Amino acid sequence: MTRRHVGSLLIGVIMGLAAGVFLGWQQFPVEYTNSSLSALAPHYQEEYTVMVAEGYQYDQDLDGALSRLQPLGMENIFRYIRELTERYISQSNVPAIPPLVALADALSSEPLPPAMEIYHSTPSPSSP
Amino acid sequence: MTRHIPERAGSGVSWAAILIGIALGIGIGLLYTWEIDPVIEENTAPWQLNETAREHYVVAIALSYAQNQDVGLAFDRLRAVSPDRDVWNMVADIACERVKTVQTNNNRDIRVIRALEQLYRPQGASGCADGLFPTPAPMAFNPPTPTLTRTPTVTPAASKTPSPAFPTSPPQQVFVPTPTPRPSGGYILGRLRSFCDPDFDGIIAVRVYDRLGQGVPGMPVTVTWGGSLSDTFYTGLKPEIGPEYADFEMEPGRSYSVAIPGLSSDAPTVEASACETTINGQDVTGTTSYRIDFQQQTQ
Repeated sequence: MTRRHVGSLLIGVIMGLAAGVFLGWQQFPVEYTNSSLSALAPHYQEEYTVMVAEGYQYDQDLDGALSRLQPLGMENIFRYIRELTERYISQSNVPAIPPLVALADALSSEPLPPAMEIYHSTPSPSSP
Repeated sequence: MTRHIPERAGSGVSWAAILIGIALGIGIGLLYTWEIDPVIEENTAPWQLNETAREHYVVAIALSYAQNQDVGLAFDRLRAVSPDRDVWNMVADIACERVKTVQTNNNRDIRVIRALEQLYRPQGASGCADGLFPTPAPMAFNPPTPTLTRTPTVTPAASKTPSPAFPTSPPQQVFVPTPTPRPSGGYILGRLRSFCDPDFDGIIAVRVYDRLGQGVPGMPVTVTWGGSLSDTFYTGLKPEIGPEYADFEMEPGRSYSVAIPGLSSDAPTVEASACETTINGQDVTGTTSYRIDFQQQTQ
C-alpha cells in the first residue's frame, strides 16, 4: 500500500467518523423504549406529579400518592412538591395549583407559606 | 508531426481508499455513539416507558380524570402513552390485568379499578374488569318510623243501676314500631375477587356472613342474566364447604348480577370472560370464576 492510499484511507476514516458521530448522536440517537418514570422528560414528570396530586384530591389517600411519586426517584419528594408548587404559583399555572397545594399541605408538617395558603383556604362567603 | 502527451500524474488521492475510509469511519462512529457512549437517557416521553411505569402513568391519568372529569385532557395524556393504539382499550386492558394479577387487595386498589373503569367504559371500551367493583350507592339510614296509634275508647254499656263515677283516663298514645324486614341490618358486598382455575371453571362462589362473621345457611341467592333470566339457589347446600357457601355455574361470555335479600349496596355484576393461567408450565385457557362475599352490616 502506497503512502497515497494510506493518506486517502485516513482522510476517509476522519470524514466517516464525523458523519457517524453526527448520525449516531443527532440524527438517529438511541431511542429507549423500556424506561422508568425517573427518566421521563421534566415536563412529563411535572404533569405526572400534578395528576398524582389530583388523584390525592379525589381519594385523599396520602400513602397512595407517595407510593405513586416514589418511582420518580426524587431525592426529597417533599421539597420537590413544594418547589414545583411554588414555581407553578409564580407561573400562574392556575388549574394545577390547588391540587399541588393540597398535596404539599398534606406532606408538610409546617404551615403553608402565605402564597400557597390563599390557594388552600376555602374563601368564606362574603357578607352582604 | 506527432505531439507527445505527457502521462497524467496521480492526483494524490485514492478515491477507493477514501470510500473505504468513510465506510469504516461511519461504522466506528455509530458503534461509539450507539454502544459505547450513547445519548444519555433523558427527555423520555410516556410512550417510551416500560410496562410498569406505563401502568403507573395511566393510573395517575385515571385518578386525575376522576377528580377533574376532563375527558379531552385525559385523552391527550393517554395518547402520549400510546400513540399507535386505541387508548380506551389500553385503559381497559390495564384494569383487566390488575384484576387478573390480583392487584385488588385493598380499598386503594379498588379505587384505582373504579377510576380506570370510569374512564374507559363511557368511551365504549370494555374488559374483564367491567362491573367488578361498582361504586357503592350512597346508603340511606332510615330508622324505623314510629307509628302513632290511638287506643279506641270503649263506651260503657248502659246499666240500670247507676254506677259510681270513676275517673276516666285520657286516651293513651301508644308507639308501635313498624317492623322492618330485616331488623338485624342489611348486607353489603364484602369481597369480590376473580380467579382463573380450570378445576373451578366459570363458577360464582357466594358466601354470606352475619355481622359476627358466622356463615348464614339458607340464604337465597338470586343470579340474573340476559335481562330477564334468573335463578335462585341457597347457601348451606354444600355443608362440606361451609354453611355460608353456595355456587353457580356461568355460561362463558355472559354477564351475571348476583343479589341476596336485604342487600344495601349495588348487586355486583360479573362476566364469564375467558382467562388464561399456567399450570405445570403449560398455558391453560378457561373461564374466569368469582368469589363474592356478602357481609351483614353491624348496627
